[in-house]
Amino acid sequence: MLKVEGLNVSYGDLQVLWDVSFEVKEGEIVVLLGANGAGKSTTLKTVSSLVKPTVGSVEFLGVRLDRIPSHEVINYGLAHVPEGRRLFPDMTVEENLIVGSLTREAKSKRKKTLEWLYDIFPRLRERIKQPTGTLSGGEQQMVAIARGLMSLPKLIMFDEPSLGLAPIMVTEIFKVVEMVNREGVTVLLVEQNVHHTLAMCDRAYVLENGRITLSGTGEEFLNNDHIKEAYLGI
Amino acid sequence: MEVFLQTLVAGVLKGGLYALIGLGMTLIMGVMGIINLAHGQFMMVAMYITYALFHFFGLDPYTTLIISMPSLFLLGVLIQKYLLNPLMKVESILPENQVLMTVGIAMVLTEIARFIFSSNYLSVRTSYSSSAFYVGGISFSVALTVAFGFTCFLTISLFWFLIKTDLGRSIRAVSQDSEAAELMGIDSGRIKVITMGIGAGLVAAAGTLLLPIYYLFPDIGGPFTRKAFIITILGGLGSTVGAIFGGLTLGLAESFGATYIGMDFEDLVGLVIFLLVLLFIPGGFRRFTKV
Ligand SMILES: Nc1ncnc2c1ncn2[C@@H]1O[C@H](COP(=O)(O)OP(=O)(O)O)[C@@H](O)[C@H]1O
Ligand SMILES: [Mg+2]
Repeated sequence: MLKVEGLNVSYGDLQVLWDVSFEVKEGEIVVLLGANGAGKSTTLKTVSSLVKPTVGSVEFLGVRLDRIPSHEVINYGLAHVPEGRRLFPDMTVEENLIVGSLTREAKSKRKKTLEWLYDIFPRLRERIKQPTGTLSGGEQQMVAIARGLMSLPKLIMFDEPSLGLAPIMVTEIFKVVEMVNREGVTVLLVEQNVHHTLAMCDRAYVLENGRITLSGTGEEFLNNDHIKEAYLGI
Repeated sequence: MEVFLQTLVAGVLKGGLYALIGLGMTLIMGVMGIINLAHGQFMMVAMYITYALFHFFGLDPYTTLIISMPSLFLLGVLIQKYLLNPLMKVESILPENQVLMTVGIAMVLTEIARFIFSSNYLSVRTSYSSSAFYVGGISFSVALTVAFGFTCFLTISLFWFLIKTDLGRSIRAVSQDSEAAELMGIDSGRIKVITMGIGAGLVAAAGTLLLPIYYLFPDIGGPFTRKAFIITILGGLGSTVGAIFGGLTLGLAESFGATYIGMDFEDLVGLVIFLLVLLFIPGGFRRFTKV
C-alpha cells in the first residue's frame, strides 16, 4: 500500500535520513521505533511531502507522493496526525474536525463522520464548542486523531500520539489506534513507547541515527536481545 | 457633557473606519506572518480610483465601491502571487525580506499615483460631504455615519465568512498553523493570495468611504499605513476581534485628544495610547478575545 524506497533527506547541509526503506501493507499496523532525534518525524513528513527527499521515492497506492505538493496528499487517502498534535488552538473542537474534512468526498460525508467520531470520543461531544487550546493534553490528542479520521483515510500515520500523556490516557489512546485499525484503516505508528506498541503491531522497524537497522514482526522484536536491551530496559 | 458626547460620537464613527483598515492588515498579519507596509498605499490607490470615477464619469463615491473593492482585491492577489509568494519559496530569505518588499510596493504605488495625478491635493465634493443630522443636540456627519454603517455591514460579513464557510475556516487554519493546514489539504499559498486580496479589498472600502470627507494626495498612504500598524499592534497581532477594539481605541483617542488637548495633538495621543498599551497590556487586546 505504502512503499518507501531509499530515502535520503537533508535539512540544509545536515543529512538526517540515509537510505530509509520500508513498506506498509493494507490492513496492517506498522510501528516505526526510534530514540529522540533518530529521524522518525522526518520520515513521516517526507511521506506527507512536507519535506522532499534528495534521493528516493514514496509510493502510495501507485502514486508518487514525493512528486506532489503536500496539500494534495490527503486527496489520495493518506492522513498524518503530526507530533505535538498541531491543532488550531483558537478554533473549537468541532471547527478543528470540520477543517479535517475539506476533501470532496469527506465533505459530503461530514455530518455522518462527525457523529461516528463523537460516538467513539464521547468526551469530545461534550466539548464541541470549546477552543482546543483550552483542552487537556489527552483531549487534544483525541481531537488530533479524530481530525485525521475526518478525511476518511485509507492509511493514517500517528507521530508519537502518547507523548506527554498520563499513563491512563496512553492506554486509552492505543486502544483507539487499535480500534481505528479494526475499522479497516491501515496504521503507521511512530513511537518511543515500545511496551504498548510491539504487543499490538503486525510489524515494526527500528530507526537509529537516520538508518533502518532492524525490521520484523512484533513478536520477533519482543524476543530480540538488542531491542530488549536498548528499548525495553530488560 | 455635550462636548464629551460629541467627541465620543466622532471618535466611534472614525474608529469604525479605522477598524476596517486594521481588519485587513490583521488578516494579512495572521496568515502571512508579516506586517504589510503597503496597506495605507492600497487605500490610497482605492481613493484615486474613486476620485477618477467621480471626476471623469460623475459616479457617486459610494457607488464606486463596487469597482474599487474588486480592483484592490485583484491588486492584492497579483502582488501576493507574483511578488510575495515567490520570496517565500527561497529558503534563505527571511520573512523580513517580504516586509521590505511591501515597502518597495508602497513606494512604487505612491510614485505611480504621483505620475498620473501629480502631487496636488484633490477632493471629492458631494452634497453630503459636509452635511450633518442631529440627535439630541449631538451632530452626526452624514458621510461618517454612512461609512460607519457600511463598515459594520462589511465586518459582520467578514466574520460570517471566516466562521461559517470552509474557505474562511481555511484562512483561520493557515493563520494558526500553516503546516498543519497543509496536512488537512489546504493550499496555504492559495490562501495567502486570497487573504491579501481580502485585506486590500477591505482597506479599499475604507479609502472610498473616507474620500467624501477627506482629501487626497499621493503620500497619503504613509500615515494610514502607520495607523494600520498601530491598530494591529493594539489588537494583538492577528486577532480580528482585537483589530476592531484597536480601531475604536485609536479613533476615540484621536477624537478626545483633538477636543481636550488640541487639534495638533491628535496623532500624538494615538501614539501615546499605543505606547501605554504596549507597556501595560503586552499582547494588546487579544487577551480579551478568542477569534
Ligand atoms: N526543521 C528542521 N531543521 C533542521 N534540522 C531538523 C529539523 N527537524 C528535525 N531536524 C533534525 O533532524 C534530526 C531528526 O529529527 P526528527 O525527525 O524530528 O527525529 P525524531 O522524530 O525521531 O525525534 C534531528 O537531529 C533534528 O535535530
Ligand atoms: Mg519526532
